[in-house]
Amino acid sequence: MCPVWSSSRFAFALALGVVASRAETVDFKRQILPILSDACFRCHGPDGEKRKAKLRLDEHDGLFRTVDGLTVVAPGQPTESELIFRITDADPEEVMPPSDSTRQLTKTEIELLRTWVKEGAHWERHWAYVAPQRPEVPAVTEAAARKRVHNPIDAFVFTRLAKEGLTPAPEADPATLLRRVSLDLTGLPPTPAELDAFLADEKPDAYERAVDRLIASPRYGERWAWDWLDVARYADTSGYQGDPDRTMWPWRDWVVNALNANLPYDQFSLEQLAGDLLPGATTEQKLATAFHRNNMFNGEGGRIDEETRVENIFDRVESTATVWMGATFTCARCHDHKYDPFTQRDYYSLFDVFNQMSETGRGGNGQIPPVLDLSTAAEKAAVAEAQARLGATAKEVDDFEWKKFARAPGKPLTESDADKLPGNLPRYIARTEPRKRTVDTLLEAVRYFQANDPAYAAVLEKLLSAVRVKDEAAGRVTRVMVMDQIKQPRETVVLAKGNYEAKTETKAWGAVPAIFRPAAGAFAAGERLNRLDLAKWLVSPSNPLAARTAVNRAWQSFFGTGIVKTAEDFGVQGEPPSHPELLDWLATEFVGSGWDVKALHRLIVTSSTYRQSSRVSPEMAERDPSNRLLARGPRHRLPSWMLRDQALAVSGLLVEQRGGPAVKPYQPAGIWEEATFGKKTYQQDHGEALYRRSLYVFWRRIVGPTTFFDAGVRQVCSVKLAHTNTPLHALVTLNDPAFVEAARVMAQRVIAESSGDDARIEQAFRLATARAPTREEKGILRGRLKKLRVEYAAEPAAAKALAATGEAVRPADLDPIEHAAWAGVCLLILNLDETLSKQ
Amino acid sequence: MNPLDHGQALYTRRQFFGKSALGLGTAALASLIGKEAWAAASAMPSMRHGVPGLPDLPHFAPKAKRVIYLFQNGAPSHVDLFDYKPKLRQMHGQQIPEAVLGGKRFSTMLDGQTARPVLGEITHFAQHGKSRAWVSDFLPQTAGIVDDLCFVKSMYTEAVNHAPAITFLLTGSEMPGRPSMGSWLTYGLGSETEELPAFVVMTSRDKEASCGQIFYDFYWGSGFLPTKYQGVNFRGSGDPVLYLSNPEGMSRAVRRGLLDDLAQLNEINQQDFGDPEIATRIAQYEMAYKMQASVPELTDFSQESEATLAMYGPEVRRQGSYAYNCLMARRLAERGVRFIQVMHAGWDQHRNLNTQLKIQCDDTDAPSAALIRDLKQRGLLEDTLVIWGGEFGRTPFLQGKIEDTKQWGRDHHPYGFTVWMAGAGVKPGLCYGSTDEFGFNAVDKKVHVHDLQATILHLMGVDHERLTYKFQGRHFRLTDVHGNVVRDLFA
Repeated sequence: MCPVWSSSRFAFALALGVVASRAETVDFKRQILPILSDACFRCHGPDGEKRKAKLRLDEHDGLFRTVDGLTVVAPGQPTESELIFRITDADPEEVMPPSDSTRQLTKTEIELLRTWVKEGAHWERHWAYVAPQRPEVPAVTEAAARKRVHNPIDAFVFTRLAKEGLTPAPEADPATLLRRVSLDLTGLPPTPAELDAFLADEKPDAYERAVDRLIASPRYGERWAWDWLDVARYADTSGYQGDPDRTMWPWRDWVVNALNANLPYDQFSLEQLAGDLLPGATTEQKLATAFHRNNMFNGEGGRIDEETRVENIFDRVESTATVWMGATFTCARCHDHKYDPFTQRDYYSLFDVFNQMSETGRGGNGQIPPVLDLSTAAEKAAVAEAQARLGATAKEVDDFEWKKFARAPGKPLTESDADKLPGNLPRYIARTEPRKRTVDTLLEAVRYFQANDPAYAAVLEKLLSAVRVKDEAAGRVTRVMVMDQIKQPRETVVLAKGNYEAKTETKAWGAVPAIFRPAAGAFAAGERLNRLDLAKWLVSPSNPLAARTAVNRAWQSFFGTGIVKTAEDFGVQGEPPSHPELLDWLATEFVGSGWDVKALHRLIVTSSTYRQSSRVSPEMAERDPSNRLLARGPRHRLPSWMLRDQALAVSGLLVEQRGGPAVKPYQPAGIWEEATFGKKTYQQDHGEALYRRSLYVFWRRIVGPTTFFDAGVRQVCSVKLAHTNTPLHALVTLNDPAFVEAARVMAQRVIAESSGDDARIEQAFRLATARAPTREEKGILRGRLKKLRVEYAAEPAAAKALAATGEAVRPADLDPIEHAAWAGVCLLILNLDETLSKQ
Repeated sequence: MNPLDHGQALYTRRQFFGKSALGLGTAALASLIGKEAWAAASAMPSMRHGVPGLPDLPHFAPKAKRVIYLFQNGAPSHVDLFDYKPKLRQMHGQQIPEAVLGGKRFSTMLDGQTARPVLGEITHFAQHGKSRAWVSDFLPQTAGIVDDLCFVKSMYTEAVNHAPAITFLLTGSEMPGRPSMGSWLTYGLGSETEELPAFVVMTSRDKEASCGQIFYDFYWGSGFLPTKYQGVNFRGSGDPVLYLSNPEGMSRAVRRGLLDDLAQLNEINQQDFGDPEIATRIAQYEMAYKMQASVPELTDFSQESEATLAMYGPEVRRQGSYAYNCLMARRLAERGVRFIQVMHAGWDQHRNLNTQLKIQCDDTDAPSAALIRDLKQRGLLEDTLVIWGGEFGRTPFLQGKIEDTKQWGRDHHPYGFTVWMAGAGVKPGLCYGSTDEFGFNAVDKKVHVHDLQATILHLMGVDHERLTYKFQGRHFRLTDVHGNVVRDLFA
């Protein structure tokens, strides 16, 4: 499947739908503005510097003005409108867009523009820059659909369906529904007991109570933290050269706790952007600001500190704009935005807000100041112990070396003496005190001396291991990078082309982007805004986008695609919302509820829209392949991290310990070593740590966990979900020991808990899919089981190997042949499309 | 693929299953599905077998069907290897004129060093072949194939540090997050193979581990393009593709049986739910199975002649070496892989030019030249474009002290460097453009990184201004808003 094509094709279908349903007028917002933006704004838009012919088409005055007797757009008079004249001009020198432009207008687009002018050229500002008005909930006229309206979401969706001549799909069967909502709200499938209880519950509000139970579960915060960690580009290392470890996990736990405690989204935002500046800020509120220290940090040798510092601020500005404004600010780093009304000045006004912290850009470790010290006595004791061990080992090395290099004990060679030695490495080694040597050089040294002085290499290797232990202990002392504010504010100037060196004369200071200022009241009074001011504005009614972007991301998580498909871009070049009134209704409802995230999620999952069956007819699959009209329920492959959690849960391996430092489950040997030239060694954990939820898996930024695919890369802010489908993904769920072990432990479980082939097949199938297999399905699985028994009876060694996959215990009295046969069946079940999908 | 065509294919498939029921071996059925899922694609101009690209690509008849990029990570010294400047020897030890330096910036590795003494080449240059191209004695094998090569001696770039410069060359932007060239090309042109990834990356480093550059995954990332277009990094040890091997205790026959039933069960669900993604999933599992056979076959060198192996040098049998990766590149090219990115680190000689440059050359010279010869003898060079080069050059002046010969080095140098190209559509035996008499600034027929990118795309039949992807409201492309195709390089 190619998501790109299907989307563009569908965007077209949507646009046509609009034409068909209101044949009387062309809709400026949805039909005209996107054309003007895409085809004209590049040269006739917000970017003042590059604007051609002083013609500006993105603002009302520019579009309707008359110069030298020529009117750009004359409402009602296409023949008097220069715009229409120019886009239909037969002269290749005169026609617009220019004949060498890569964006040309289609005949349909030209006709739309002409019709729009003829009908009076109605103009309005791009919807996203106008505050959402609470729309009236439409009345559903069709009786059958009206009965299905459970909350206003349905009213909006069903009236739209009616316009398209469609009706909602029937409700999904209860088991499918419980699995769907359990995965969505907690990231884990329902247990058989939960499923039984739900199916036996005949009260009319059985579903609502199940939803309440799931939302109240602490697993809820663990599930929803994932999406926010993608937004926050969270990882356990800094990225780039060296990729040093960080201890940012207390912030990850803060997110889980905040979600579970249902911290209102405005407060959730405030604390992460500026918790340190809140009056009487608590430790937790300071910890929250680690949000904007989760960016990558380039400590590469040869870097210029200021360049790094400036790049970090770029990242913070752009991430903030993406998350709370759905705005694509990156363009404005170098010049005024080409399509949206954001100027380069706007960019550096936000830059100024983030320019006031004490970060210098210097530093190469994962705990670059300012930090919040959350270290424990045990952590500090571990460092002291490692230091002592290192001291002792260093002494041994010294004893060896003063003979080798002919120097005084305890003293390194002087530089001039060292320079007499052959080769760079011995020179470096000899003039650096043993305890001050780094892992990198010791690694090289061990390799170097292995050939010509093995005894010395052995001593150095011991030192290497002691240095590593010390580094690791030091790295584990919990210090979380957070935000702070310098006393004497830095002056901010616009940087030409975003080059940190190219300071212009133009000053910028903390301010709301100009387009939002008219509505921003006190925030636009001219005072220089700091981070707290900006945060307050972002979640104030005068930012029309905070609630819209938040509800859209939630919608995307449940339905696979946002109401605005381009979750990262609400600007004129973004895709218009599929259900604009619904988006605004949800946004105003969200704010009205006190930014109650759990209430929002509850509202969505209790809607009939969400509860529809996901079955699709060939006609609908063709007409609406990505289900933008919502004539059926959502159906998608689960995120890869959730697949792992699900496998752990259904096998019974899952260890539900919450929070704490990251864990290192199975990973093929050599992944880190290869990416870091042996400087980083993956030390796989054992025991319970292997079976913790994916949320807690250690994320090395330059080479992420291999079990996950289609995941955010955790390098920059990511608000978009991916659902690709490749053979490489199949290899993971078929062959990754995490899945194979889950399958063989799942086999142990069904063998222990059920008796007889049929019952065991039924249990395994139901664990994974929440339903019993049909007779046909059972027949296929029974056939496979029999074949596997024969195959493994002939290969007892293979049976033993498969049955012993992973480190989980297996009952000694379990026949390996029987176990392997069942493990095969369970692996098959774990790879069913139905298991891999939310159905 | 086109959803409408896909719907069509589905329908046929369902009828097919309905009729033949379970009589046939499901394996055969499943492999049919795999083919059929791409059936609509075969009608498209951009592909016959394999995975489809965009419907309107290629934009014009391509000269090259595939690219092998031999990326020399760390920046080889152009003035010691290809860009012969007698002036450097003449002025060895003297300050480089201010007019040439022009206040340009360098990496902070030079902080604290104000002197800019000219450093004569540490190698010996000679002219070779009919084209009389200058090549240093450190690269004897490359010198032997100069008449097949097209040198661009006037390259220049923007960034002064490795990661940003490599990212710039491979993705068109210094900051990580844009799609890399291989992603763009496989997105646009699709693949000629179903059994291997369309975009493969292989990395190696010098044996002595003299420099610590890391290969970041954004060097082959898909950026905002769907993740299926990201390069697949073949590993240097163990399974080249992650999780390729069946688990211990599961034979290929057992796996086949499981997949047959899996396909059948998925098909039942597909009939019930009608989601076309299920059919795609069935096809992808089948492809995974094929890949499990095709990758081991790919890495099995037992059918290579001794003569061929000898040409690539003694390291060719060591998985993860540059030589091994070069031979793999040829094998991947034969099997229809679209973009093969071979990256070798070890060229960053700040303080060890006299010891390390020779070692890098020894590691890479024979394999690079062997790849060209090998492609040529198989007729593959005609439609394979090979590019050799780093992210920038090295300073014509010295980093270090002139009297300390052991620690001579050269710093990063973005203002002029050399790359060579060979194969499909490029003029063999050409030396294009030049730097000034110090090898400092590209001066004649300058080729910017975006120009190189535009040129590569052009050879693949792609107009760099028309291969775009809309993200965050902008139509992005590899060359940003720049780039001119260097037509003078074309045969």
